[in-house]
Amino acid sequence: MMTTATASGTALIEIKDLTVTYRSKGREVRAVEGVSLQVAARQSYGLVGESGSGKSTILRAICDLAPVTGGSIRIAGEALEDPRGTDFSRQVQMVFQDPYASLHPRHTIDRTLSEPLAIHGIKGSDQKVMQALQDVGLPTSFRFRYPHQLSGGQRQRVAIARALMLEPKILLLDEPTSALDASVQAEVLNLLNRLREERGLTFLMVSHDLAVIDHMCDRVLVMQHGRAVEELSRDDLAEAKMTTAYARSLFEASADRMLA
Amino acid sequence: MSLLEVKNLRVTFATETGPVEAVRGVSFSLGRERLGIVGESGSGKTMTGRSVLRLIRPPGRIEADAMSFDGVDLMAASEREMRALRGNRIGMVMQDPKYSLNPVMNVGEQLTEGLRRRDRIGRTEARAKAIAALEAVQIRDPERVMAAYPHELSGGMGQRVMIAMMLIPEPDLLIADEPTSALDVTVQAEVLAILDGLVRDRGMGLIFISHDLRLVGRFCDRILVMYKGKVVEELEAKNLAQAQHPYTQGLLNCLPRIGGARGPLPGLDRSGDWAKEGA
Repeated sequence: MMTTATASGTALIEIKDLTVTYRSKGREVRAVEGVSLQVAARQSYGLVGESGSGKSTILRAICDLAPVTGGSIRIAGEALEDPRGTDFSRQVQMVFQDPYASLHPRHTIDRTLSEPLAIHGIKGSDQKVMQALQDVGLPTSFRFRYPHQLSGGQRQRVAIARALMLEPKILLLDEPTSALDASVQAEVLNLLNRLREERGLTFLMVSHDLAVIDHMCDRVLVMQHGRAVEELSRDDLAEAKMTTAYARSLFEASADRMLA
Repeated sequence: MSLLEVKNLRVTFATETGPVEAVRGVSFSLGRERLGIVGESGSGKTMTGRSVLRLIRPPGRIEADAMSFDGVDLMAASEREMRALRGNRIGMVMQDPKYSLNPVMNVGEQLTEGLRRRDRIGRTEARAKAIAALEAVQIRDPERVMAAYPHELSGGMGQRVMIAMMLIPEPDLLIADEPTSALDVTVQAEVLAILDGLVRDRGMGLIFISHDLRLVGRFCDRILVMYKGKVVEELEAKNLAQAQHPYTQGLLNCLPRIGGARGPLPGLDRSGDWAKEGA
């Protein structure tokens, strides 16, 4: 059932038996338990599940934002260094769920976009910021605005532009459109697909919305209670060829099934 | 005879830069049915729902040619008369149980508070009513939930508690503002089934406010589609697929579908006259 793209060695993202455990006050919570997945270069891979299924935690673990207690994460065949260095941020960037919370409220768009360049000592930030705004379909006149002067969709475009400043190969997308209106969601999903095509990006995308995942991803992993339940190709999903009861119940409850 | 009649409702907020109209002339009537109000953020759907209970604070102002509930003129009613309606005859369920339940009061106290204070019912009887209400929303272990604090409940459980709380006074009309948006899809289905059963069994009227057109299309009898404070289309839910208005069509088409085409999703075309300012 493994496709050639996911055969060992060629995967760009390779996660094996990942376990994430949060500890507090003597209590242990396993947010992710023994999850393995492989994403080939230029592929788009989806993680879907309900709240508490551990899907976002996997993205956070890749960025060293969650306590990994077992298993391994490899990017382009190499184990990640701890803490993640500058090489990592040039390869992997993340877009968060809430565009109202993920942009610094007192930094202008210009500052938000040029900061990664400054950190990495990359020159020509002036021109690069203008280009980045154009690439995500924002007018360059937005450059010196603050986040509160933008709508939710515009903010999410800025967050995507920021993630792309260092020209990474991989984008980790954590519910990038769930805080947006349906029509704005369509625009942002179209933007992400266009950028992936143009730049040959690899996506690892989290969503609770099976229809969004289906639209965006080639393969999808259904998760529940921190464990992988079932991996499905896009065709299997469209033809409802899931084998587990949970994946089926998620499919049946999916909003777009409601209108026959 | 309709339960609720709203004619030319306007909600205006006075701001430094002049008045902002959040609702611009909305009219509808509601019987003992499920009415869905759908729109994107800023469409005025929540404000419309809150206006019915006159729950809009200054600088917001409500105006209407007529707004009556079961013979009571809501525009002329005193604040005291409104208080008698709120909760008792018109209930409201908010979006997020995390922010709408009192975090430092256990569920049992919150459920019985109204009964004991308003209806002057004794402790044991109030408790029995609260447990019955929790059972009505299909909570299997009401005793445990009664003793729990809101943070100890999951989202779906919290939302059921809020619905139970609203149902104890047996209102004639329930206004539910995005009652399932904070919930997972499988839980969402359960909560909707509960609401549906209550409308059917008790003959309650329901105003279901949501941004999710497909959900409303499946769940409600009739739909009002709002855009920038106006109702742009009113239709029977079963005819949703044949919606005439470009905004309604746009809202339906811009959603991805499982097994749908992979190309770019159609955006919402706002170039029509209907989308113009002041249209």
